[in-house]
Amino acid sequence: MSPIDCEHALRQIELYLDGELVGFERVEIERHLGECSPCSGHSEFQRRLKQMLRAKCGCDEVPAELIERIRSMVEASDPHRPAR
Amino acid sequence: MASSQAAPPQDAALRERFERDVLPLLPSLYGAALRLTRNPQDADDLVQETYLRAYRGFGGFQEGTNIRAWMYRILTNTFINSYRKKQREPVTVQDGEVEDWYLYDKLGESGVEASAETEVLERIPDEDVQQALEDLPENFRMAVLLADVEGFSYKEIAEILGIPIGTVMSRLHRGRKALQKALWQTVRERGLVTD
Repeated sequence: MSPIDCEHALRQIELYLDGELVGFERVEIERHLGECSPCSGHSEFQRRLKQMLRAKCGCDEVPAELIERIRSMVEASDPHRPAR
Repeated sequence: MASSQAAPPQDAALRERFERDVLPLLPSLYGAALRLTRNPQDADDLVQETYLRAYRGFGGFQEGTNIRAWMYRILTNTFINSYRKKQREPVTVQDGEVEDWYLYDKLGESGVEASAETEVLERIPDEDVQQALEDLPENFRMAVLLADVEGFSYKEIAEILGIPIGTVMSRLHRGRKALQKALWQTVRERGLVTD
């Protein structure tokens, strides 16, 4: 039987998914999730939620003009590089 | 806004290192700036100002230390000092009554099968997810953005924002709960579940 109960596991899932559990604590929760279907369902949902947030909030296109302005700032300070 | 003049690194090697290590961070910094400022013009200004400050200070940056965290610290500091004042702060979230696992439980209660819960998440339009994040109070928004979108560790977030790790954990937990409540609202409004 797993040495941690569901209540403990559910409290730890956030830390686990954030990669903040190490060593024995990590092993313990992984063992529990491997054996407990409801906790594993919670964990999987939370993991997908994080994944979804990253995918949907991290895909903005940078305006070409901003890229150009920042590149120009660096290039303009280089005396060995010809101005564009 | 971005009127400061860069006092550029005099060393050509430094400039090359800046181009190699810092310029590629532009897309993720711009995305973060959009979530923080909530409008493209301010995001544009914030990123430009961040790069100017970074470029000026790059000589003092130690190679081998965490360049991403260093850039996000400049970004968030610049945001807090220069942009926050003119921001309309969202209404404070009353998150005390939001349970842990709010969204998961609500989807379950509405009859969505366990296997289909993550599909509902995928069907929420990108703009709605972005809006839900942008509507979070600033402290929560920064923590969730840095952890879930940018993938920083608690220790890195603590250093970026200059707050204790316990505060990072608390803001993240509360921010995520508030976000789940907002996403549930969206799911219902979009008719992604039937009541």
